[in-house]
Amino acid sequence: MQTARRDLSIYGAFIGMMPKVFMAYQVWFWVGLVLNIISMAILVYFWRAIYNDTGTISGLGLNQTLTYILLAFIFMPLTSIDVVWEIGSNLREGTIIHHLLRPINFQGMNYAQSLGILGMRLLLQLPMAVVAVLLFGLRFPADLSTWLAFLVSALLGFTVMFFFNWFLACLTFYTTEIWGLGVLIEGMSFFLSGSLVPLVMMPEWIRTIVLSIPFAQALAVPVSLLTGITPLTEAPRVWLVQVLWILGMWLASSLFFKVAVRKITVQGG
Amino acid sequence: MTRYLNLYWYFLIQRLKVLMEYRANFILGASSTIVWQASSIAAVWVVMQKVSNLNGWNYDEVLLIYGLVTLSKSINHMFADNLWTLGRQYIRSGGFDRFLVRPIDPLFHLLADRFCQDGIGNFLVGMTLVIKSSIDLGIDWTPPRLLMLIVGVVSGGLIFIALNLITCVTAFWIVDSVPITRLVFDNHLFAQYPLSIYPKVINILLTWIIPYGFASFYPASYVLNRAAGDIAWLGPFVAALLLFLGYRFWQFGLKYYSGTGT
Repeated sequence: MQTARRDLSIYGAFIGMMPKVFMAYQVWFWVGLVLNIISMAILVYFWRAIYNDTGTISGLGLNQTLTYILLAFIFMPLTSIDVVWEIGSNLREGTIIHHLLRPINFQGMNYAQSLGILGMRLLLQLPMAVVAVLLFGLRFPADLSTWLAFLVSALLGFTVMFFFNWFLACLTFYTTEIWGLGVLIEGMSFFLSGSLVPLVMMPEWIRTIVLSIPFAQALAVPVSLLTGITPLTEAPRVWLVQVLWILGMWLASSLFFKVAVRKITVQGG
Repeated sequence: MTRYLNLYWYFLIQRLKVLMEYRANFILGASSTIVWQASSIAAVWVVMQKVSNLNGWNYDEVLLIYGLVTLSKSINHMFADNLWTLGRQYIRSGGFDRFLVRPIDPLFHLLADRFCQDGIGNFLVGMTLVIKSSIDLGIDWTPPRLLMLIVGVVSGGLIFIALNLITCVTAFWIVDSVPITRLVFDNHLFAQYPLSIYPKVINILLTWIIPYGFASFYPASYVLNRAAGDIAWLGPFVAALLLFLGYRFWQFGLKYYSGTGT
């Protein structure tokens, strides 16, 4: 009886702790929502002011541009770099050894995980989608085939980014510095993924740069399909380019990983 | 006063010694902020190549606004970044009690404890933008305009610090104050662009409630001879009032503080 009561109070404390942990996350959920609304509002008012005395820019009207910007905002998780953090923390804590010893493909396992995280992150963007519709007048495209073309392209683009991130993550085998690398990638991707400006508005030479590095494949390319900036008839060509990107990045990242893993120095653990 | 200046100097030297131990982090920290700012500015540049007029403001005028708020932010970032971590690093761990037994003002101790090198990146970005834009705009730096530049940046920096102070004091009650501070702090993003592009509500918010407008839009308006410019001279008073409120709130919170028992 004594021990039962003791157990109850100990484990009861753990039960009681969970709502607090949950609340802590919940606070961040609401705060994150407000912060996102601020960022979204700035983008919207900036673009409205830009269109003040002009009808179209590079062939895009205000509505089409706003739709692009808002959808890019909502689908931003497609460019997230979780693999870099994941491999980084595995290296730092030394757990990477266990993963490498397991009889499964390490890259495959990470890909599956990233897909799971992507699903979660997209689900968490739902409130922002509602905000975009209610506050900023976003209208989702109604055409089913557009959505299908987008979904295929988004999945392909996400895969491109996965292998590209894998490639970058291999750098941490040499530098053992993860945080700085991660922030640097995120900062560059902010512009280079096309989340701030539709690609068609960029000067030729910038567009060439943006299209010869992978960030845009995950965001600007699929979102352009979804908003109709890239016509639906172009979809097969877009997919093909993305598949070529995947092949290239997959090869490069696998090779780099093979070389880099020999350099492995685990920081204690 | 001189005693505190001397003390700050000693704290700074100690901090720099620590930073020099991790030189790579030092450089990465400062440059990461530069990359983020470069992304936003690149976007503005691309768009304003196509349309050179953002509600009556041209590209360089927008850069001046952007640069001023970034400079103000860097003052807060370099010298008062520790306010963010009051709850997480000092109160939760009990480390804050250390400040209370020392013969100096605990708020001074908290601020002096960590000079934040990441702010240097923002400082460089802000300086570059202000210099670049004022050269391209051919601004004639008369004494009143030069004075306004300094008044705007310094009172802007103090407004950043005061708002962070007010929100961070909540850590004495709720321990983790970061969400609340973030909620207020992120409103400064509005002030990166001319306030005139926003609806009236946001203008009132950024002028009278969370007055980041005094860090960028109003000083820039004065320097560029715009209609809303004269209000910029209110900046120092707004900053002083907020700092006064912040310090009183801090003292009130300190009285309440009893440690977390760690």
